[in-house]
Formats: sequence, structure tokens, C-alpha cells
Amino acid sequence: MVGPTASLTPLSRADGSASYQCPSTGSNILGSVNAPIELPGRRDALKPEDATVEVFVKPGTAPGGVGERYVEGIIKNMLGKLILGREKGYARRGVVITLAIVGGESVARGDSYLTLLPALLHTSLLALLSASVPLSMTYSATVLAVDASGEITREPSVKEAAAAVSLHVFAFSSNGHLLLNESEGPFDFETWEKVHQRALAICHGTVARSSDGDVAMAEDVDGQPLEGALREAMEEKIQQDYSWKIDAA
Amino acid sequence: MASPLILLPGDEVPSEYLPSSNSAPLRLGAGLRLLSQPSAISPSHVISATQPGLLSTDNKRNAVSILSTPNRRYVPTPGDLVIAQIHHSSPDYFHCMITPQAPQALLGQLSFEGATKKTRPMLKQGDLVYARVLSTGLGAGAEVELTCVNPATGRADGGLGPLTGGMVFDVSTGLAARLIKASSSSGEQQDGVAGLVVLDELGKKLEKAGGFEIAVGRNGKVWVDCANGGDYAVKATVAIGRCLSTIDEHELSSTDQRKLVTRILRDMKIES
Repeated sequence: MVGPTASLTPLSRADGSASYQCPSTGSNILGSVNAPIELPGRRDALKPEDATVEVFVKPGTAPGGVGERYVEGIIKNMLGKLILGREKGYARRGVVITLAIVGGESVARGDSYLTLLPALLHTSLLALLSASVPLSMTYSATVLAVDASGEITREPSVKEAAAAVSLHVFAFSSNGHLLLNESEGPFDFETWEKVHQRALAICHGTVARSSDGDVAMAEDVDGQPLEGALREAMEEKIQQDYSWKIDAA
Repeated sequence: MASPLILLPGDEVPSEYLPSSNSAPLRLGAGLRLLSQPSAISPSHVISATQPGLLSTDNKRNAVSILSTPNRRYVPTPGDLVIAQIHHSSPDYFHCMITPQAPQALLGQLSFEGATKKTRPMLKQGDLVYARVLSTGLGAGAEVELTCVNPATGRADGGLGPLTGGMVFDVSTGLAARLIKASSSSGEQQDGVAGLVVLDELGKKLEKAGGFEIAVGRNGKVWVDCANGGDYAVKATVAIGRCLSTIDEHELSSTDQRKLVTRILRDMKIES
């Protein structure tokens, strides 16, 4: 299994940005984050001590529609809980995340948007990290399709997803807790449990927790766990930026 | 010194990386927070990161903080030295631009060294000042105030005031912070401070051409002037700017920085 490719800070004018390509679904997302910024008008009346998170998803070729609004809502809800909006300088200001779908098979009207959701989530995480927005934790996400015979496909393409009986998106925090669970189509508890186990293995590897709480990341059929791949991308960028300091030490 | 540690949000700082002296309380800098771990037997505290970056510890001040991505937008903090450009003037204030995307900052007409109603500097649109951020105010829509004197002494410490002549170059905020660090600590080190030897090297090479003056603003602006340069003044200014922007784009070691200086000065046909 080939891991995703990510690059950080490809855009020079945004506060933080990331591009992310998922090899199996073929989706290619470019994300930018601007934070903290002054929002026009007063949108802070409800939560004066917190930052406002706004998410925009732009399809590459078509004007945005219902599907985009739907995933925007999911991403916004999840990130709103992770972003520490009460940190210094963030209260009553905005964190604006813009995600552009620049490549891959486009989702036709009425198709499920869940296939794109993990890539959108990963892009927004990397862009938030590159903008140094305070977060309580990191996460990784994956999408799984279950077909009529009960077989699980990891990160299905649009065609595979259309043929599947049910689709499941899971996001796990860096501690291994379930953060997001979106499902579509008919399924039973037993299937969900199976899919959940598989998703956890994809994001965190076959978990081998040692006594001191360290999580050993093992490689298996799913290749490198996603959590590790994202961490590596970020660490590489910091290594590069601070090579003058790291080399001197 | 343990190997450098890179943390992501949510990671805990291992206790062996914290400064070991127990006399003073530990100071937590940017990007770190203290969380308490509820447990039935012994509630304990962990220090966890909120920003991605390199953990940096200061044993002298017993402080620990996270160095985050260096290409961030400049956010004014009180005490920062910045290079601001006058946008327009009103009876009491000069309205200045610190960064083009941020709202304008205010600089009092009288906050210059020795300024009175009669002797205040007459700055025009586009003029540059080297100023210190006095206050940033609270909450959204607050105004940033700048000053060109130390309010306590009434003196312009550290070359504050209008910058005449010269030229401004844009660099990343990360490089600006490194340049400030390198110029404030003048220790004779082989590798330079913060990995920068470019200014020392340029100073040596351009001594014959009249030397140069430089002012670095935290907002990612560097002002360079070679007023004594004579025929070489323009060339030397451009050469310094080129050196800085090349170093900003590519991570260069101290030997590469020296090579770059030699190459650029040769390309610009400046005798050294």
C-alpha cells in the first residue's frame, strides 16, 4: 500500500497551507489556513471568548453545492473541538480554512462525499499545523467501503464507493480515541465493529501498547499507519526549517 | 544536550528534556500548556504541546518553549522592533503600515527623541521609521501603537527613529528573528550566532567599499544603507539584499554562506 504524499507550506501568502494526495482515491487537495484574522461584522456574539472556525470546500471545476456544505459542516464541527480558540490572540478572531479539490475523480451531484472526507481532514490538519494554530491533538482519518459480500475496501474510488453497500469514515486522535464516525448506507453492529477495527489499524497500525504508554507503530498489510505518515511529513518540514539550529546542537 | 525533539500538538514533553535546575519555577513559553492528569491515586501534571515545532530549552532562565514554523505572518507583540512605513499623517499621529495586510498602526507625532510641537520630524507618505511596538491593545479591532523613543528615558535606544536613504528588503519573519538574535549577541563564534555568518562576512568584505548600515524589523523587513559607498553604494546595497533573500530561500550552512557572499560580490563586480 502506497502512503499518501503531502507537502507543507506550498503557498507563500497564506499563513499556513498544505497539499495532500491520496494515492488510492486519487484525490488531490490544496488547503490554506489564515489565522488569527479579523472577521468582518460581528459573528462572535454567541461565543465571545472563543475563536470562530470557518471551513470552505471548493470543487475544482463545478460550483459548490449541497455536498460541499455537508462536508464543511462535518469538518467545522470536528475542528472546532480541536482548535484551542481561547489561546492568546485567538478569542473573537477567525480561523478560516479553505480546501480546494484540485485533482482526482470529481464527485458528481448526488454521489457520496464521504470518499473525499479523509483527504480533506488530513489537508486541513497539515495546513493548521503549518500555520501553527494551537491544537489540542492531531488526528488521522480513513474511509472504508463494505460491499454486498461483506468485504472491506480501504479508501475506495468513486466507482467502488457507488457499488458499495455502506461507507464509513473514521477519524482517530493521536491518542487513539475515536473522534469522528460518519456512516452511509445500511449495516449492522457487527459490520461496524469490524470496520472500526480495520480503520484503527490503518490509522495507528496494529496497536502494540507497551507498559509505559508508548504506541509502537508496526507495518502490516496496510503499510505505514497514516498517523505516522502525517507526523513524518511535519517532522521533515521542521527539520528542514530548523536545520541551522539542529545541526549546531 | 539530548538530541533535538520535535513535537506535534498533543504530545507530552518528556521530563528528561525539561531544564533540571529546581531553584526557580519552570517558565512555559509559546506552544506549551500544563495539563493535569486526573488519576485516583496520584494526580499528576504533564506539559503538552499545542503547536508543532522544535522544543527549545533555556537553562539559564529555566524556560521551555516551542519553536514553530518560521514563515508565519507577523503578529505584533509589545517590545518588538519593526520597520514601519508612513501611510498618512493626522494632527496627532502618523498612520503606519507594519505589514500590508494588517490594519494601520499609530505612531505619535511626538514620540521621537527630543520632539516637541515645533521640532517634531515632518515625515511624508512612504517614509520609513524604525520603531518599537508599544502596545497592541486587547481584543478584535484594537489599534497597535508604535514609539520611536524609550518612554522611560526619552532616548531613542538602539537606533530608533526615521530611516533615511537606503532600501528595504523583505525576508521571512523567521530569518528576521535570526538576524536580530545574531546582531544582538556579538560573541565571536566560528559558526556565527543562530547559524548566520553572512553579516560578519559582508562586513569584512565591504569594509573597503565604505561599510554598510543595517536595521532589522521583526515584521520581516531589512533596511540596508551604504551611504559611504560612493560609486559602489547602489551595487553593495543590492548585493546585501540578494545575499539575504538567497539565504532565506535556501537553507545554507556557514561555509555556503561565505561562498555565496564571495560569489554575489564577484557577480556585482564589487572589489573586496
